Amino acid sequence: MTQRENIKFVKINLSKKNMFLVIARTFRGGMNNFWRNGWLSVAAVSVLVLSLYIIGVMLVVTVTTNGILKNIQEKVNISVYFKPDVSEDRINQIKVQLEESTEVKSAEFVSKEKALEDFKRNNANEPVIMQSLEEIGGNPLLSSLVIKANEPSQYETISSFVSGDSFKEDVSRVNYGKNKEIINKLNGIISEIKRIGLVLVAVFSAIAILIIFNTIRIAIYTHKQEIEVMRLVGSSNMFIRLPFIFEGVVYGIVASLVSMLLLFVTLKFLSPYLTRVIPTENLLSFYFSRFGILILIQTAFGVFLGVVSSVIAVRKYLRI
Amino acid sequence: MEEEIKTIVRIEGVTKVFNGGYAALDGIDLEIQNGEFISLVGQSGAGKSTLLKLIYAEEMPTEGKVYFNEKDLSEISRRKLPYHRRNIGTVFQDFKLLPQKTAYENVAYALEVCGAPKEDILEDVPQILDIVGLGEKMHKFPRELSGGEQQKVVLARALIHKPLMIVADEPTGNLDPVSSVEIVQLLLKINNLGTTVILASHDRDIVNKAAKRVIVLEKGKVICDDAKGKYKIC
Repeated sequence: MTQRENIKFVKINLSKKNMFLVIARTFRGGMNNFWRNGWLSVAAVSVLVLSLYIIGVMLVVTVTTNGILKNIQEKVNISVYFKPDVSEDRINQIKVQLEESTEVKSAEFVSKEKALEDFKRNNANEPVIMQSLEEIGGNPLLSSLVIKANEPSQYETISSFVSGDSFKEDVSRVNYGKNKEIINKLNGIISEIKRIGLVLVAVFSAIAILIIFNTIRIAIYTHKQEIEVMRLVGSSNMFIRLPFIFEGVVYGIVASLVSMLLLFVTLKFLSPYLTRVIPTENLLSFYFSRFGILILIQTAFGVFLGVVSSVIAVRKYLRI
Repeated sequence: MEEEIKTIVRIEGVTKVFNGGYAALDGIDLEIQNGEFISLVGQSGAGKSTLLKLIYAEEMPTEGKVYFNEKDLSEISRRKLPYHRRNIGTVFQDFKLLPQKTAYENVAYALEVCGAPKEDILEDVPQILDIVGLGEKMHKFPRELSGGEQQKVVLARALIHKPLMIVADEPTGNLDPVSSVEIVQLLLKINNLGTTVILASHDRDIVNKAAKRVIVLEKGKVICDDAKGKYKIC
């Protein structure tokens, strides 16, 4: 009896929920779990880092490849050569007409004078060609329009359009035939690379998700008994679940930071090699110009995976 | 003591059949009055643990009803179940302490989940650990404590929010004889202070030491119910 009088037992209003208290306590619980489970946390974070890193690399590779392809695409065009007697006005008329069509990105007029100039400059070191040009006398070249399409696949349409009946009187020839093969090849390569890139990203993401999911499930499996104990002392489901969710969030954040660091080191190492091959691409400047979006994607992905796997794994033991 | 002794647990025609058709409990009728100390005895597999699980609603009966404080447990929603459990302190053979928390944190956790204010936790947890004799070791982790000490932490945790009832399932099963006696003495003391205690055990000495009401279970049936009992196989 004396002992009972000594203790001031807590009077608890069970129905009253103090959300702030719950969040503060479960957050602290999650942090404690993270630190006190040392190796398990290291394992879960490492797997998450690896997956995020692979996804990061795939992202950079895809974006860079797209950049390179775009670069090559820029250099592809078809030229339409006009008969010598077609006036510049008429050519301009056709130019305007072409530019109005959806397939055409740009159409540039090259006069025969400019064509000759370019030709002379390009062949300045070829005495035979220069000599024969002089023998012919005058300007043997034709005025032309250099057309660029929005998509490589559209050259076919443009070509048949300018070779059609409406321009029969004006057009001497279209060099599509000559470029056709290379354009088609490029077309194939581009769609192939895009498809492979997409498949790789999807496959790696799927693998990453599975591995992370299982790792975190195993991590929580070790807490199976704890969850049982928590229920026995009267924890609400929310109070049991929140520490694990916070733990998942910490997994995600730590992993994304480590993965960004790894990505930086990798790109710093690879960048000089790539720049030597393709001078227009710089991986490091890409990394820094997209730093915000990269870290956002990684953190979002990491936290999402951490939280979803935690919720599903805990759910199993909560018997909801 | 309590002025009015009322029925705290009423079990009416309860049968519990587990998956596979195994009947752990078979037509149990039982009343437990507030403030009683009950020794529940019987061999392994007699249904002692299952009966206790029905009381703290870890399992639901296949047939029949279980009332706690005149409330039908089958009518409590899953969301409200934690509130029911806060009326009952549980003690187990395998302690069931949280391994990542210190003795202090384990006891505090039971208060934290109820939403108790910080000041009360800081005041009450050391007090209750003092009472069970672990004031000195309250910042140790379970792995740093002996079995008897761990069980004392469990008792402290079971008591901290002043439950109506303590359910102890083989609490001395893993303990040496001296620690066992200590634990039973603590349980008797708790009972003296007015809390109902159910002690499931197959330890003859422990039950005889308590010398309180003894209920004997065999193959899922109550075969003996003595108000002033000794351990026996009826």
